[in-house]
Amino acid sequence: MRLIVDGRPISYEPGDSLLIALLRADIQPTGGGCLCLGGDCANCLATVDGVSYVRTCQTAAKPGTVVQLHHTQKYPPLPQEDEARPAVPARNLFSDVVIIGAGEAGRTAAREAEAAGKSINLLDATYGEEAIGIYPGPLVVVRTPHETLHVHAQDEIIVATGAAEILPIVPGSELAGLLTRRAAEKLAQAGLDLGRVVAIGTPPAAVDCQLAAGELLRFEGENGRLHTVITQTEAGQENRYACDTAVLNLGLHPRNALLRMGHNLPVRAVGDAALESDIPACPNEGVVCPCEGVSVADLETIWEQGFHEMELVKRATLAGTGTCQGSTCLPYLRSFLLKKGKTLQPSFTARPVTRQLTVGEVSAGTHHHATARTALDAEHRRLGAQMERSGGWWRPWSYGDPDGEYWAVREAVSLMDVSTLGKMIVSGPDALEFLERLYPTKVSTIKDGRSRYVLLLNERGYVFDDGLICKESDTRYSLTFTSGGVSHAEMWLRDWAASWQMDVHILHQTMSLGAINVTGPLTKQLLAKAGLANPPGWLAHTKAEVAGVPCHIFRLSFTGELSFELHHPAEDSVKLWRALLEWGQEFGIRPHGLHTLLRLRLEKGHIIVGQDTDFDSTPRRIHHDWAVKLEKPAFIGRHAVERTNKIPLDKLLVGLEMADGPAPMEGAVIWHDGQFAGHITSSAWSPVLHKAVMLGWLHYFDGHLPETVTIDGRSARRVPVPFYDKEAARARA
Amino acid sequence: MPALKRIAATRIVAQPQVLDSADVPQSSLALRFAADELFVTPPLQDETIITAHDPHAILIREGGFAGIWLPAEEAALFLARNCEWEIPNGRPAFAQGAVASIPTKLWLEDEQVLFIVPAPYAHDFAERMQD
Amino acid sequence: MNEFQEKLVNFKWVEPKKTYDVIIIGGGGHGLATAYYLATRHNITNVAVLERNYIGGGNSGRNTTVIRSNYGIPEAVRFYQRSVELYQTLEDETERWIMHAQKGILWMAHGETAVRAEKARAEINTAFGAKTVFVTPKEIKEICPEVDLTGGGVWPIMGGSYHPEAATARHDRVNWALAEGAMKRGVHVHQNTAVTNLIKSGNRVIGVETTAGPMHANVVMSAVGGHVTGLAALAGLRLPIRTHPLQAFVTNHYEQKFHPIVASTSLLTYVSQTARGEMLIGAEIDRQPSYSYRSGHHFLQTCAHRAMTMLPFLRQLRILRQWTGVCDMSPDYSPIMGFTGVDGFVLTTGWGTWGFKAIPAGGEQMAQLIATGETPELIAPFALDRFAQDRTMADRGSAGTH
Repeated sequence: MRLIVDGRPISYEPGDSLLIALLRADIQPTGGGCLCLGGDCANCLATVDGVSYVRTCQTAAKPGTVVQLHHTQKYPPLPQEDEARPAVPARNLFSDVVIIGAGEAGRTAAREAEAAGKSINLLDATYGEEAIGIYPGPLVVVRTPHETLHVHAQDEIIVATGAAEILPIVPGSELAGLLTRRAAEKLAQAGLDLGRVVAIGTPPAAVDCQLAAGELLRFEGENGRLHTVITQTEAGQENRYACDTAVLNLGLHPRNALLRMGHNLPVRAVGDAALESDIPACPNEGVVCPCEGVSVADLETIWEQGFHEMELVKRATLAGTGTCQGSTCLPYLRSFLLKKGKTLQPSFTARPVTRQLTVGEVSAGTHHHATARTALDAEHRRLGAQMERSGGWWRPWSYGDPDGEYWAVREAVSLMDVSTLGKMIVSGPDALEFLERLYPTKVSTIKDGRSRYVLLLNERGYVFDDGLICKESDTRYSLTFTSGGVSHAEMWLRDWAASWQMDVHILHQTMSLGAINVTGPLTKQLLAKAGLANPPGWLAHTKAEVAGVPCHIFRLSFTGELSFELHHPAEDSVKLWRALLEWGQEFGIRPHGLHTLLRLRLEKGHIIVGQDTDFDSTPRRIHHDWAVKLEKPAFIGRHAVERTNKIPLDKLLVGLEMADGPAPMEGAVIWHDGQFAGHITSSAWSPVLHKAVMLGWLHYFDGHLPETVTIDGRSARRVPVPFYDKEAARARA
Repeated sequence: MPALKRIAATRIVAQPQVLDSADVPQSSLALRFAADELFVTPPLQDETIITAHDPHAILIREGGFAGIWLPAEEAALFLARNCEWEIPNGRPAFAQGAVASIPTKLWLEDEQVLFIVPAPYAHDFAERMQD
Repeated sequence: MNEFQEKLVNFKWVEPKKTYDVIIIGGGGHGLATAYYLATRHNITNVAVLERNYIGGGNSGRNTTVIRSNYGIPEAVRFYQRSVELYQTLEDETERWIMHAQKGILWMAHGETAVRAEKARAEINTAFGAKTVFVTPKEIKEICPEVDLTGGGVWPIMGGSYHPEAATARHDRVNWALAEGAMKRGVHVHQNTAVTNLIKSGNRVIGVETTAGPMHANVVMSAVGGHVTGLAALAGLRLPIRTHPLQAFVTNHYEQKFHPIVASTSLLTYVSQTARGEMLIGAEIDRQPSYSYRSGHHFLQTCAHRAMTMLPFLRQLRILRQWTGVCDMSPDYSPIMGFTGVDGFVLTTGWGTWGFKAIPAGGEQMAQLIATGETPELIAPFALDRFAQDRTMADRGSAGTH
């Protein structure tokens, strides 16, 4: 069995980690320095199967694994292209208790939990289950070679991750040939020949070695390899030990990053993970943070520069910000600051992720926000529509011929899928009172079977949505909202109903009802053919069958032409749509998309909340004062409207038309005598009027609204809206 | 791609206590979406079992949800991959929450599970079942 | 070996005095910048900056370091353009390396309406002195070859705006350069000094109670982030601020290769490569208001996923660290700067997701306000009383991410 290291196959033994396989082949990892074989240091990193920063000691060797050693002086290159790997799957696990670490302490905790009747999940890093973070939930996210685990705990998380061995920091500690005691034991067990071994501190088990006397002073070597350990006796005498391997036992510091990450969550540590850290003597020389190359001298310098807080020392030297996240340097940073006269500093904040996972691995189990599709989605696509995301839905932008679609509405008959319109029902003894408080209109004056265009105001008196109130009975109303605004509006209604303790039922039925707007001068002929002999009058609504489909029919107009909105059960949308298209053939029917609708309504001067309005649109600023009945005693926004009405207006949404030439872009800046005067919110060339028409925000100058302005370097004029069919004769035909 | 089908149902919003004691036909599946909301499939034939007790109740013909039955094992695998919350143990059981990032209702029986999503998301849900 | 260690900045710490001309609460970027500009532009050096923890320890050290001025309203474009320009010369002026790098930012549009919005952005930016152009998908690919124009087949890129002057700088170094520059000229900066109350005389703030004892001043400025509503309440002010967490993460270090800052207005995520080679990825604010610095998994998971949709090469990069800051959001998504109606008490707040990029201009303008007693024209639109006066600075198109 072989794996590939820098293009060269090497053999390995069953059960080898990549690092053991490398060392077996006498290849030193490029990080240099003391190896821990415990996943704590960053000295054995390599690029494995295209993923850099992999701890080779924690990765099992497999046939054909491609290993590239990291460059000693440069960071790894960014991958050029994604190789279209399959997405990493997620798996969710649930239990009462999650135990991280399957060593002695972890297994004991598991037995205790089970004895107490708890279900458990025991995570074992030796099987490649690396816990990378603890989050509220509580949730443990775990990287495995094949999938990302989301391990959910009902009761608690027990951190039994043990302790890391403190690495040496002396001159020469970057040499190859240094091992922690545990690392030496693992390598000996794997049958590697460690050569002549010198031990500092308690010697490793089952390894022949010479014990070094005195305090470790430095390492010496050649070509990056250790050949001598130098210690100093209390008497100040140097001892030199020639060797191939030095084994260090300098104390332990707990692997408690997960515990610290889980503060204020039900997380506790057991075993060595719960220990206080040993604080090693502060070194005089050597590299403290191998990840970022920070030496003791660097710490001294930054201290002299006035950086005295732990967090500032870290940020200024970058010690602790590399791959091992302080696992190597943290005990020494604490020791350094202690020596400088500060109290013993707590470990710095532990943030996810501890052991690392890739961007792809962490994204496992998630999806994009789904974009909703109406029941007619497939119909639009079959008709060749360009689809556009709008208000959370896929909607037809155009069917490929915007001008043809436009003229179908103005001169013949056309359909638009308006199923996305927000729709709710409010019913109950308090329905009228509830709506009176919500809306600025006088709801009580809406007659049975009638509907009214209404605004929704927030507490600051700004418009945030619009729609219709359709009265069905004294205790029951249908409401409509904008496509993109209805989710917010539903929360708005439910919150207010609850806080006012209104006796009402609310049902959100946007997805239950399809809606098709039939519009154009020939609409009545088409509907008659489809079985609707007596369509409702202007702003009335009625229930009747069209093409055999039960419809709630609303007479209103956003396009400026005769229009009927057919609300119907969503499951019947396709049937109704196809029937209307088929029967409309003789009337020149064709569907229109959003692009056309935006132009049609602009000719009529109808605003779109969100496009033409902004956060600060009071009814007054958009010429909708008429929709606000201040004589009503109470409705949301009333106080704010009363107050702001007393402040002189600074800007107004107005109609504008170009003297000549094409329509400026939406967002174009409006100038007046060389000064900023506002911007265009809606703009289009009007085929029927042969000129460019616009809505835009126009600023007052000394209390006066300019009559003529400059847009796009051309002259434009302020004009009243609507631009088209001012008497609304066509819509009311 | 797995096919989710629109479910013909009645959706009811009414007083919770009226829903608690509603005499829904044994043969139909009645899912309590909320304290004041009940979903009954096939559609309720006799609406007076609700309206007689709550004249303001809202009952609509509901075709806005789509569903698919999966064998229990297949469902468990899909849920393990795509559901961040714990599925109740008993059977039958009703549960609701995000599955594959889409709001989903689950009706869990011993042998099979019914997944119900808003029909506008049925296409995306089916794609995610296939992944 | 580590070229990124701070080598030049030198702090001299001193004991606090009982009285200053100006006390600035909050040793983050805005507080330090105000002190710096008071000292360098107005020769006002009897100033103390009080920091309850360590300097730059709040959001000034937790942000994603983007500098840009491609805002949606004239007042904001002008203000942030001033900041872009001050940043460009800050290294020369302070003689400190803040790792300022001009990168250019691409804002991707994934639909017809988004394309219109980016065209409009280019228009209003150009009109008010910021350089922004609309770019086609082909031009986007030239600026950023790594981008997947199909958006993973889900969010196709139909165009975007490109703002070439957008830059990044190392947040800590900006804070330190300003702190040192102020301290060198006599300003006091006191760390581990928390303000516990305001000292008032009638409707005038005349000083602060601190964990290091009371201190008096002619002017007290709040440059607090996160808990500003609590501090303002001590002055009797109710601020229209809600605080939301904002999260980000970085990958390990990689060789420098990815030049621009890439953002998506629909996916609400943005990506850049830091001077140290980490890929930095951020998203929009958490919807739920909170002061929590705790990191979330849902953020990491979804943000990673969205970023990968634009830039598939990210898939194999290993994540190093995620973190959280908090954003003070005003109702109109614009900052609040200036006088408060309480004598002797001025503030700079509402820095939402745009605080870092505003540090030099915010500091410069507030220093001028304190020095002259008059509101500079550039920040007059951002006064607190705009909410009562119905003159909000609505900037819908620029809100929410970075």
